[in-house]
Amino acid sequence: MDPDVEFVGVTKAFGDFVAVDDISFAVAKGSFFSLLGPSGCGKSTTLRMTSGFEHPDRGALRIAGEDMAGVPPYRRPTNMVFQRWALFPHMTAAQNVAFGLEVERLPRRDIRERVGKALELVGLGELAQRKPSQLSGGQMQRVALARALVKRPKVLLLDEPLGALDLKLRTQMQLELKRIQREVGTTFIYVTHDQGEAMTMSDRIAVMNKGRIEQIDTPQAIYDRPATRFVAGFIGNTNIAPVTIEAVSDGEARVRCGGLAFVAAGAAGVSAGPGHLALRYERIRLGAASAHLPVTHEATVRDVIFAGSVVQYVLFLEQGPLELIAEQPHEGGAALLVRGERVAIGWDAVAPRLFQDG
Amino acid sequence: MRATTAFDFATRRRWAVPLWLLAPTLLVMAYAFVAPLLTFFEYSFYRFRRGRLEQVFTLDTYSRFLFDEYYHVIIYDTLRMATLVTVLSLLIGYPLAYALYRINRPSIQRWLGLLIFSPILVSVVVRSYGWIVLLSDQGPVNWLLLRLGIVAEPVTLVFNLLGVVISLTHVFLPFVVFPIFSSLTRLDPELKEAAEDLGAGWWTTFRRVTFPLSLPGAVAGAQICFTLALGAFVTPAMLGGGRVLVLPLQVYNATAEINWPVAAVGGMTLLIISMVAVAGFNRLLKYSEVR
Repeated sequence: MDPDVEFVGVTKAFGDFVAVDDISFAVAKGSFFSLLGPSGCGKSTTLRMTSGFEHPDRGALRIAGEDMAGVPPYRRPTNMVFQRWALFPHMTAAQNVAFGLEVERLPRRDIRERVGKALELVGLGELAQRKPSQLSGGQMQRVALARALVKRPKVLLLDEPLGALDLKLRTQMQLELKRIQREVGTTFIYVTHDQGEAMTMSDRIAVMNKGRIEQIDTPQAIYDRPATRFVAGFIGNTNIAPVTIEAVSDGEARVRCGGLAFVAAGAAGVSAGPGHLALRYERIRLGAASAHLPVTHEATVRDVIFAGSVVQYVLFLEQGPLELIAEQPHEGGAALLVRGERVAIGWDAVAPRLFQDG
Repeated sequence: MRATTAFDFATRRRWAVPLWLLAPTLLVMAYAFVAPLLTFFEYSFYRFRRGRLEQVFTLDTYSRFLFDEYYHVIIYDTLRMATLVTVLSLLIGYPLAYALYRINRPSIQRWLGLLIFSPILVSVVVRSYGWIVLLSDQGPVNWLLLRLGIVAEPVTLVFNLLGVVISLTHVFLPFVVFPIFSSLTRLDPELKEAAEDLGAGWWTTFRRVTFPLSLPGAVAGAQICFTLALGAFVTPAMLGGGRVLVLPLQVYNATAEINWPVAAVGGMTLLIISMVAVAGFNRLLKYSEVR
C-alpha cells in the first residue's frame, strides 16, 4: 500500500479559529478516500491544503512522496472538482476540458483526442459544444469532472460536488463516480457532509469533527464499531443516552440508566464511571422478536413515524425514564403498533456501544 | 364573459403602475427633447443667406454637411477626439480598475474610489484652467520633461487636440474604471482557483479567464466615454484654444451667428453619430457577454 497523500501533524488556523488541528492520515494509491464531517469540521480546509489553495501552519503534507511545502496549486499533481463546479462561463464544455491541456502546451491533436475521451468517459460526447449556461446541473458536474480528470492527476480532489444536485441525480452520480474511479484508477479524495454518500463510494472514510479526525476506517467498520461518541451519533441513526457504568469485566459492563440495569458487551477500553450508551435504531427488536434476547424491557409507544420501507417507533421506558427510537423494516400489509400501546422490547448484548465521559 | 373581464382588469393593472411611474419622464422627454428635436428638424430645411434666416425650403445645409470638405474635417476631428479619449481611458482605466479590484481592502478601496471619482467633483471650468496651467510651455509638465532631458524644447501640450484629449480622459476615467471594476468584482473567485488548479499561472489566468469575463464592463465604460466625448463642449473650447473645431463647438458658433440651419444639421449629425455608436457598442456588448 503506497500512500499517495500523506498528512503528518498538520495544523491550520484562520485567526483564532483552528480549522484543522494536528491531523495525520495517509491515503492509499488508487483508493477512494472520504473526509466526512459536519460543516466547519475542517474537511474543506484539509482538501484546500491538498490542492495548494491553503498552506499548513504546522506539519508536513506529501503527495506521491514529495513534500508540497511552497508548491503552488498549478504545479501540484492534483486536480479539483469544485463545489459549484466553477466552469468557465465563456467557454464551451470542450473548451473547458481543453483548458488544462492547452496550458500544458500539448499538441493540438493530442488535446482534441484526450478531450474527446474525457467527455466520453463522463457521457457528454454530444454536448461538447454547449456553453455551461446551456447545461443542466448534472451535466455541468460531469464537465467539471472531465476537466479535472483529463489532466491525469495523481490525486483527484472533490469538494462536495454533488451537493447542488437533486436526490435522484445524486444517487445516480454516486454510482457513476465510483465506476469512473474504478475505471481510471486515480486516487480520489472526496469531501462530504453526507454520510450516505461517503458510505456508498468510499474505500476508507475519515470522520472529522472540530478540526480533528475522530476515526479512519472502512465504511463498515465505522458503522459497526464507531470509535467515539461523536462518530456513533454522526453516522447512522443512533440513540445516545447518558448511563452509569457500574462494573467492567471481560469486556462486559454492567450498566445503569436511571431505574434500568442491563449488561452491555461492547465495552472494550471503558472502566466504571459516568458514560454514554449508543444504540442504533435498527438494533432494537419489538414484540415476539425480542423474547429470546438477553436484554429486555417493557415500553410504551409514544409516536409512530411511517416512512415506507421502514417504520420508526418512539418508545418510552418508564423505569429509566428513557426515550428510545426503534426502527423496523416494514413488510407490506403488516399491522403497525399504535400510539399508547405497551410493547416488549429487547436488544443483543453486543448491540450497544459504551463511551466513557471526559 | 366574466373570465375576459377579469383578464382585462389584470392586464390593465399590470400596465397601469409602470405607466404612472413613467408618465413624468415621458412628459419631460416630450416637452424638452422631442418637441425641440422637431423644431430643429424644421429649421434644418430653412435657408440662411447673408446673415439672415429665410423660411424657404432647401436641402442646401444637408448637402453641405455631406459633400463639403470643411464639415468632413469637423466630423472627422470629432470622431478622432472621441476615439482617442476612449482608447486612452481604457488603457489607463483597465489597469486602474484591476488594481482597485486586487487591493481587496474595503477601506483603501473606498479612498481610492473617491480619488478616481474626484475629477467629476471639480467644475469643468476650474479643471480646464488647471490643465492649461499644467500643460503650458512654462508649466510643471514641460519643466519636468526638460529637466529629465526627455525633450530639448517645450512640447506643445495645450491649445491643440492633445490637450483636449488629456483633459477629457482625466474626467471620463471614472466612467470607465467603475464599470470594469464592478464586472471584476462580480467574477466568481472560484473561477480563478479553477484556472490555477488546472495549471495556469497568473498571466494565463488573467488572459484567458479574468480579462474575457470583464469585457462587458470595459465595453459599457467605453460606450459612456465615447458618447460623452462626442458631446464635450467646454473642454475643447478652453483647451483647444480655437484650434480644435469639433461638432458641438461648430453648433455653438452657428447659433451665435443665428445660423439655425447649420446648428440644426450639426446637432442632428451628432445625434446620429451617437446613436450609431450606442448601437455598435450594444452589439459588442452582446458578443462580449457570456450567454
